[in-house]
Amino acid sequence: MDAELKNKGKDREKSVLRKVYDFLSSLKLATALLLLLLVLTWLATLEQIDQGLYLTLRKYFSWQSLAFFPEINGKRVPVLLPGGYYVSALLLVNMILGGLVRIRKGPKQIGNLISHFGIVFMLLGGGVAHHFSERGNMAIGEGEMADVAEDYFEYVIEVSEVKDGENDGFHVIRGKYLTKLDGGDSQIFDFDGVPFSLNISGYLKNAVPVSSLERAPAEGELVTDGYYLASKPSEVTTERNTAGAYARVIFEDGEKSSPFILAGASFQPFTVRDGDRVFTVDMRKRLWPMPFEVELDTFTADFHPGTSRPAKFVSDVRRVENGQDSEVTIQMNEPMRYEGFTFFQASYGPPGAGPGDTMYSVFEVVRNPSDKWPEYSLYVVAFGMLVTFLTKLGSHLGAASRKRKKNA
Amino acid sequence: MKAFALIPLTICLGFTACEKQEERMLIEETRRVTSKDTKPKLFATSDERFRDAKPSPFKGDAPENWLTLPSSQMRILNYRFGESGMGEVYLSVSGGGVPDNVNRWLKQFGSKPLSPADFSALEKVEVVGTEGVWVEMAGRFDAGPMGGAARSGFALAGVVADVGGRILTIKMIGPKPEVEAEKEELRQYIGSLQVTGN
Repeated sequence: MDAELKNKGKDREKSVLRKVYDFLSSLKLATALLLLLLVLTWLATLEQIDQGLYLTLRKYFSWQSLAFFPEINGKRVPVLLPGGYYVSALLLVNMILGGLVRIRKGPKQIGNLISHFGIVFMLLGGGVAHHFSERGNMAIGEGEMADVAEDYFEYVIEVSEVKDGENDGFHVIRGKYLTKLDGGDSQIFDFDGVPFSLNISGYLKNAVPVSSLERAPAEGELVTDGYYLASKPSEVTTERNTAGAYARVIFEDGEKSSPFILAGASFQPFTVRDGDRVFTVDMRKRLWPMPFEVELDTFTADFHPGTSRPAKFVSDVRRVENGQDSEVTIQMNEPMRYEGFTFFQASYGPPGAGPGDTMYSVFEVVRNPSDKWPEYSLYVVAFGMLVTFLTKLGSHLGAASRKRKKNA
Repeated sequence: MKAFALIPLTICLGFTACEKQEERMLIEETRRVTSKDTKPKLFATSDERFRDAKPSPFKGDAPENWLTLPSSQMRILNYRFGESGMGEVYLSVSGGGVPDNVNRWLKQFGSKPLSPADFSALEKVEVVGTEGVWVEMAGRFDAGPMGGAARSGFALAGVVADVGGRILTIKMIGPKPEVEAEKEELRQYIGSLQVTGN
């Protein structure tokens, strides 16, 4: 009797698991998730007009956004939507279970299997790009050379010893350690070969140093050397934010300096003297040195007649690595891919420049381990669909032939 | 019972004995010098660090009792005066024409724009080798949404001049008694202004 009850319980348990499995692998779920992604993309496109692209992408598609309310034309829409990251993750599970595991196996299903594999590959590529890609920009004038890209968003603090008037390498405190110091928290940072530590506190993601003589601090901000950090709301174009923080130097004997301001909006670094050694401390957007140099030979912009609106812009560059040159042309939709970096022709400057003006070229530099995965996945999906089509065609022709033979 | 009473005391003592140690982190990430790094300006002052300090295109002999402030984007020369701490004098370069700027000042005191005849009747003063118009106004000062709350009992004195196609304004604003007391100093200051050529 007991054994019978146990078996019934197991059956019930199995049936619950089975129901979950059926739900996760269902075509209905796939359809609902794809429609949801369509709605999220549409709403994000509308919301980014007011909120800016970066903030909107974070709100709609970041792994940190589980659910949110859309805001269109400044008005909150009272519908709680799931984050796009988790919708995509669920779609990935659905595709694996429904499109690869549960799907009927057989020669006729090979095409479908291949296509579903392509979609799984594409979703995985999106996840890898989300977690591991980096974006920055590089601006170069004609005849100039650059070997570094600047991050769009991340502010870092750099400490550098000065030798013969020049910086001699930099120690870099990454933004992920600074953004945590936005309340009353502080952190002491030590550096190899540097005879002092830095105590950082009061991080603000968008702030400007203000002279207390011009405007008294309104919220009890710390004033140091006549200046304080005034917090500002985040800009719609988030890359225009300028971060700031307060710092103190802690020397080896435990003596502390007065607090000083580090700001993304500063024009010069702070100088620290320790004995006969001199160091600079500065806050700036993170720089990524490239393993090669890029020199802009010529930049050509074709404008629509009678306007400053570019119809096409093209950069002829020389990539220099280990003394060897390679000539490359970068233009819209024709990026340069090399050693894991992709250089897209992004824009040009100075703003408002027109025909005949001296200009510089701006590249968006992307380091994305899954850069080509979407392209490969599309080939896989297309191949799978072709196989499905040919299989169906073969079946149809075979059936028609059999029918003809039968009638004969 | 007494033993229980000692528990909170012991806990308090325990906490005070363990002074909170600040967290430390060793930074290992470094980067090399790149094409974007320029020669650093060492021992820069806060003004140099936080203002793109450029030589002023104008200079003048400000009275000793005016406090010189750093320049800003809108104020090429910038001063504060008076016991209230609300008196300001600043020199700016504006757009538009001389009448537009005079009328903008008048509007801040709720006055109607001047007719051409009224404008022609304004006192003329010399400033950086050209002729400007002297403006005075008193009453309730409201500089608009960007200028903070409106203030009663204020006064304005200043000059608007067209200097080579650029509109130069020297504006003194503050509580009426303080502006009245400094008006002559302002006239002398305006007379001392020179173009530096920067």
